[in-house]
Amino acid sequence: MVIIMKHNATAQEIADAMKRVQELGFEPHPIIGEERTIIGVVGDERPVEPDVFDILDGVERTVRVLHPFKLASREFHPEGSVVRVNGTTLGTNQIVIMAGPCSIESREQLFEAAHAVQEAGATILRAGAYKPRTSPYSFQGMGLKGLELLKEVRDTLHLPTITEVMAPQEVALVAQYTDILQIGARNMQNFALLQAVGQIQKPVLLKRGMMSTIEELLMAAEYILSNGNARVMLCERGIRTYETATRNTFDINAIPVLKALTHLPVIADPSHGTGRWDLVAPVARGAVAAGADGLIIEVHPHPAHAMSDGAQSLKPEKFAQLVQEVKRVAAAVGRSA
Amino acid sequence: MVIVMKHQASAEDIGKLVAHIEALGFKAHLSSGAERTIIGVIGDERGLEPENFALFDGVERAMRVLHPFKLASRDYHPDDTIIHINGVAVGGKNIPIIAGPCSIESREQLFETARAVQAAGAKLLRAGAYKPRTSPYSFQGLGLKGLELLKEARDAYGLPTVTEVISPNDVTLVAQYADVLQIGARNMQNFALLNAVGETQKPVLLKRGMMSTIEELIMAAEYILAHGNARVMLCERGIRTYETATRNTFDVNAIPVLKQLTHLPVIADPSHGTGHWNLVTPIARSAIAAGADGLIVEVHPDPTQAFSDGGQSLKPEKFAQLVAQARKIAQALERTI
Repeated sequence: MVIIMKHNATAQEIADAMKRVQELGFEPHPIIGEERTIIGVVGDERPVEPDVFDILDGVERTVRVLHPFKLASREFHPEGSVVRVNGTTLGTNQIVIMAGPCSIESREQLFEAAHAVQEAGATILRAGAYKPRTSPYSFQGMGLKGLELLKEVRDTLHLPTITEVMAPQEVALVAQYTDILQIGARNMQNFALLQAVGQIQKPVLLKRGMMSTIEELLMAAEYILSNGNARVMLCERGIRTYETATRNTFDINAIPVLKALTHLPVIADPSHGTGRWDLVAPVARGAVAAGADGLIIEVHPHPAHAMSDGAQSLKPEKFAQLVQEVKRVAAAVGRSA
Repeated sequence: MVIVMKHQASAEDIGKLVAHIEALGFKAHLSSGAERTIIGVIGDERGLEPENFALFDGVERAMRVLHPFKLASRDYHPDDTIIHINGVAVGGKNIPIIAGPCSIESREQLFETARAVQAAGAKLLRAGAYKPRTSPYSFQGLGLKGLELLKEARDAYGLPTVTEVISPNDVTLVAQYADVLQIGARNMQNFALLNAVGETQKPVLLKRGMMSTIEELIMAAEYILAHGNARVMLCERGIRTYETATRNTFDVNAIPVLKQLTHLPVIADPSHGTGHWNLVTPIARSAIAAGADGLIVEVHPDPTQAFSDGGQSLKPEKFAQLVAQARKIAQALERTI
């Protein structure tokens, strides 16, 4: 941490700030410049809030030097993490494609979608049983009945599954039915939920909040990691901006930024990242070209009849085209899909 | 235009509005629903302002149905526009790369960069003589002296050039020295400047404002087109969001959105779109994967000594790697670089 003193800070104020640094167990390292003095705070600054220095007389501001995350950091874990899910590995040279309907609606719908995405090349099935919908009047998901259908499809087609969990008390239940737990964008900072999924040994796909920074996403991952679950994957799914042409603005920059800052696999969600089926394939290609380790894509056998996210769901034949295009882009960056 | 009446709008309110619509030379088409009446306004609505209708008694809101742009629209011009710049075609299967320093600093710097980017595969040279800098204390560019050097480099290497014009008074002068006039992000809605470049027959590279929507970008292009200059290229260069990890958030969604809405070539600027040299190459790859028709990239022989944008400028050898990687992505999509 670096403490920047005000232009007119007195010698006494500087001495007091240095004393406070020592009291907190750090070593102060003052640098006296022409216009002002700065104090370097030497030691692991992570547990300390910059505010503890900001409130002292004569201090202009305090700036962190280290990233506030540790377990998620590539500095502490230079090799990319590989997450194993029931025979499939994420975070390797192979780009993994997860696909399926937004919501589980019926046995027929789920089987039809699962068959189609498996045939097209998806290796993980996504489908929601518990749905965090903006409106309480919208379809809220099939709940336990949906989980049972998901497990049935998983066992029949030997397709590992991912599904969302919304409440800490449901974690143990959902974990019995699925291979990957998804934390949705709206729950990225639901810390009780993060702790709950951190205390089990299931892989977690953590989606970036629609109003969260990259650093906040990494800190949310840090909650899961520090609770003992090392199998975390991060997902960029678009952020909220002033642009209204698309549902969200897919933050393509986040992919190489995350790959540089963390060792965790990075998955892209071009369905939510655009909100429009006709933009999903180009942005999926873009995400793989930028270095994503996987994709998660909404596919519905009949989008016009979907109970949620119909506008951003691909028909199976469009999804099959997407997979072919993604394979070519993956090959162009020396990977496979 | 569609006008939605309030729940309690009276027959008199509706009658007055219909008379007004007809007086303007449009047809009114009423549909009376269970909860409210909506009125379709039939005719070319582009000259109408929705807010004027919203002022009438009984009106809840008025919405446009048509896009407000016409000349830029793919509806009116289904085929891609191809712009020929001194032997280089932009908007076809080939993806030209525009590269060079942010600012022209000296003959040596400009010639060294031009030689390096040409050797690496760039087809156009970019370099600024007039610089729109945030701070009036920052280097403002070499001005006319810079233009002369640019023309010298252009003639020496046979590389067409792109340079920014920041004032309507300078348009004629800059047009004598450069092959493409660039309108910078800060001037995207400088309408006097748009009109001035619209009255020349020089190709224009129009950059998206950092706080502008896609529709506003297309409307800015419409100004140039409506003034008689059909050779307009659009450039996505990142927008301002809450994210601070990068200088801007490169809006990759904008690429397929622009390709759908307009027939104009779409160029990507991953240098400004990220602000960090180490993110430029992955974002360049993703832009091409998403369908961009060209790239504009900042390259400097020694970024540590650059007068501007050193943090996002690539060294020539990194640029050569970018070109090689971008070419592979282009080939995966059956295009060439």
